[in-house]
Amino acid sequence: MLSRVAESLFWMSRYFERAENTARFLDVNFNLLLDLHSITPIGHPNYWKPLIMVMSDPEHFSSLYQEYDAHSVTDYLVFNRKNSSSILSSISMARENARSIIESISSEMWEQLNNLYHFLQSVSPQQVHSDPYTFYKEIKNASHLFQGITDNTFSHNEGWEFVQIGKYLERADNAARLIDVKYHMLMHGHEHHADIVRSSMDIIQWMAVLKSCSALEAFRKVYLSKIDPDNILSFLILDRSFPRSIAFSICAAQESLWRISGSSSHRYANNVDRLIGKMEAEMSYTTVEEILQQGVHPFLEEIEQGLAKIGEQLHLLYFAYHTPKIEPANISEALPFTGLDGRRANWSQSQSQQQQQQQRFIDAVNREPFSA
Amino acid sequence: MTRLFDQYHPQSDRFFDEVIASDDGPRAHYGIMMQRFNQFSAADIRARRELVNIFFRNQGITFTVYGVDEGIERIFPFDLIPRIIPGSEWEGIERGLVQRITALNLFLADIYQDQKILRDKVIPPELVLGSKHFRREFVGVRPPLGIYIHVTGSDLIRDADGRYLVLEDNLRTPSGVSYMLQNRIAMKRAFPVLFDRYTVRPVENYPQQLLRTLQEISPLPKLDPKVVVLTPGIYNSAYFEHSFLARQMGVQLTEGRDLVVNNNKVYTRTTKGLKIVDVIYRRVDDEFIDPLVFRPDSVLGVAGLVNAYRKGNVTLANAIGTGVADDKVIYSFVPQIIKYYLGEDPVLDNVETWLAGNPKHLKYILENLDKLVVKAANESGGYGMLVGPQSTPEEREKFAEKIVENPRNYIAQPTISLSRHPSFFNDTEIAPCHIDLRPYVLYGKSLSIVPGGLTRVALKRGSLVVNSSQGGGSKDTWVIDN
Repeated sequence: MLSRVAESLFWMSRYFERAENTARFLDVNFNLLLDLHSITPIGHPNYWKPLIMVMSDPEHFSSLYQEYDAHSVTDYLVFNRKNSSSILSSISMARENARSIIESISSEMWEQLNNLYHFLQSVSPQQVHSDPYTFYKEIKNASHLFQGITDNTFSHNEGWEFVQIGKYLERADNAARLIDVKYHMLMHGHEHHADIVRSSMDIIQWMAVLKSCSALEAFRKVYLSKIDPDNILSFLILDRSFPRSIAFSICAAQESLWRISGSSSHRYANNVDRLIGKMEAEMSYTTVEEILQQGVHPFLEEIEQGLAKIGEQLHLLYFAYHTPKIEPANISEALPFTGLDGRRANWSQSQSQQQQQQQRFIDAVNREPFSA
Repeated sequence: MTRLFDQYHPQSDRFFDEVIASDDGPRAHYGIMMQRFNQFSAADIRARRELVNIFFRNQGITFTVYGVDEGIERIFPFDLIPRIIPGSEWEGIERGLVQRITALNLFLADIYQDQKILRDKVIPPELVLGSKHFRREFVGVRPPLGIYIHVTGSDLIRDADGRYLVLEDNLRTPSGVSYMLQNRIAMKRAFPVLFDRYTVRPVENYPQQLLRTLQEISPLPKLDPKVVVLTPGIYNSAYFEHSFLARQMGVQLTEGRDLVVNNNKVYTRTTKGLKIVDVIYRRVDDEFIDPLVFRPDSVLGVAGLVNAYRKGNVTLANAIGTGVADDKVIYSFVPQIIKYYLGEDPVLDNVETWLAGNPKHLKYILENLDKLVVKAANESGGYGMLVGPQSTPEEREKFAEKIVENPRNYIAQPTISLSRHPSFFNDTEIAPCHIDLRPYVLYGKSLSIVPGGLTRVALKRGSLVVNSSQGGGSKDTWVIDN
């Protein structure tokens, strides 16, 4: 498989997953605010700012908007193209990647992605505000449909594995970010985990976290109604069978990586496999007590960084193979993948931008001299 | 209810109408089609148009409009009324194209080897050797089977008497064949009954024929030569077509950055290392194909590709330097070229052409600018041309200066009478629109032509320009058994 094609499959899938996660967060936040309505004014910044902290960069947000209110945050996370992680940006990037490999994916996949893109183009912010539930549901469903179509119309060979890796790395990263921020908020400035106040308000918040991962029902089946931070952390981070937990995602990513390289447990073929294997082992043999001992934030941060490293190594091993020499000045552009400083991993567009420039230039020359 | 064709009155001395003969009756091969369309209500047409639009949009069948910033993709306009060519007529076209392409290939083989035609003074050498597209680097390089132009698409038009004439040859990277294939699928979805009434010759096996042609020109005889398509990338206006053809052939679509040359061999960069490539169907122009030989700033090509090609380790389709033979000046010599290499008279005539490089012709051109269409010899896509009757005196004056400045670069033709075909302006109204025809010719071990081709139609009222970049659309083209 062409390295470029593998890379585009990976990013197509990753951006689609990102859009779905953003929709989930926003959806749950709206629901949560309806629950809290009597206590807190609906535009209260405390309930919108964390979304920006999970999904994006508060500094960037502040440069564009005055306040953390429902309208601004929704606009920023759904429609704003200046936000590279907004739903519209993510779906555009997914589509751009798909468009460049349109002959490699199934036409059904392309149609589905294209449909969602055109749907997003046709929706106004007003529609989202008046009926957020339908809008976010549309996006979640589109993502599920896309995954189902991919599984059923796209050969399960190497390309499909890259789709899986993109999806699960993104999902693990999103889950880690979400838990990290929500946990931080619920600490209410307390220093120790044991000090967390288990008020009904907090329980509603924790339930919202579960809901945003579609995890509430699955959680109840395991822990009954013991909605308790320890149980929730354990479920969202370490559960082996819930498909949106961090451990599950890492395990799934590992399986796909192994199928590509032929690695197996105790025998890794390359650096990516080594790193993911190490992380998977950590997930398998860690208990929630140990996480609390280490501190939830340091633990999740380690995971986020580990995921960024895995992404970077994946890039070097499979995508950047034999890439023509990169000018030193452009290295940061060519490898913005890292996400090591806490930013989100992003697709490097520098090569396709160069192409675009040249094509524009050619077109301009072709039009000369009588274009008027 | 008024029937669709009741309001269609195309009578004109200047233009041939494809459907209605001069005595006001339809031509025999259009009878059933007209009858069928007359049965449709406006709602029927709307429903079918909607079906077709959704098909094109969902397939992503779009093209890029230059100079339009917002949203780079547009749906390629498609007209619902098919163009029908009787089999007997098609045989003449086919014969003419086989003759023409064979002769042009012999011409290319000659000017890149012995240059006999120049020594015999059939064509002034400076016109060939001084052409922008003549690549002296390739003199003496012989491509496999001696074939230079594997994929071509000459543009045909019909004069007032309905005679088919060649308007221009496209010997570099003619585009549009994907529209031909998709138009057929769209028509079958929207008008299944109509297909039942006609025996329409299929075009669907074009991708297989293309692949076979490309495999036939592999540098080494292999059981399964590795073929790739080389595209300038998604920003090229024909990108959809590149990816479509790759998918239909089941080969990889590559960009310049996917290929590397090592030891004069070409490889793809894959997740499992480097894999050798035998044949490249390239849709990147000569100028951009190798930064080491041509434009050094190209990011669309592959460094070292030309050397690998010269060494015979990889075949390019089409060969490098074929543009010299579809130059609009050389075009005017094609009848002599056919005579010289094949000893035959051309089956398909040229449109009458004056060369600004010839002093006598130049005088005529400048005196008749308001009646002529003047074209730059090396431009395509409807750019760099002056349509005399539709121009202002200032435009003509400016253009005249450019011609005098560089006469070798211009040719002039009479304002040609493109034939007309009923086409939709909206869901209820049809009108005669000008059309041309681009049949696609494949040349490997033998020549083959897909029955039909792409009919382009000028959907702007009164416009003569059928290029997609200038607001043209297309029609499905049927060659039917008599």
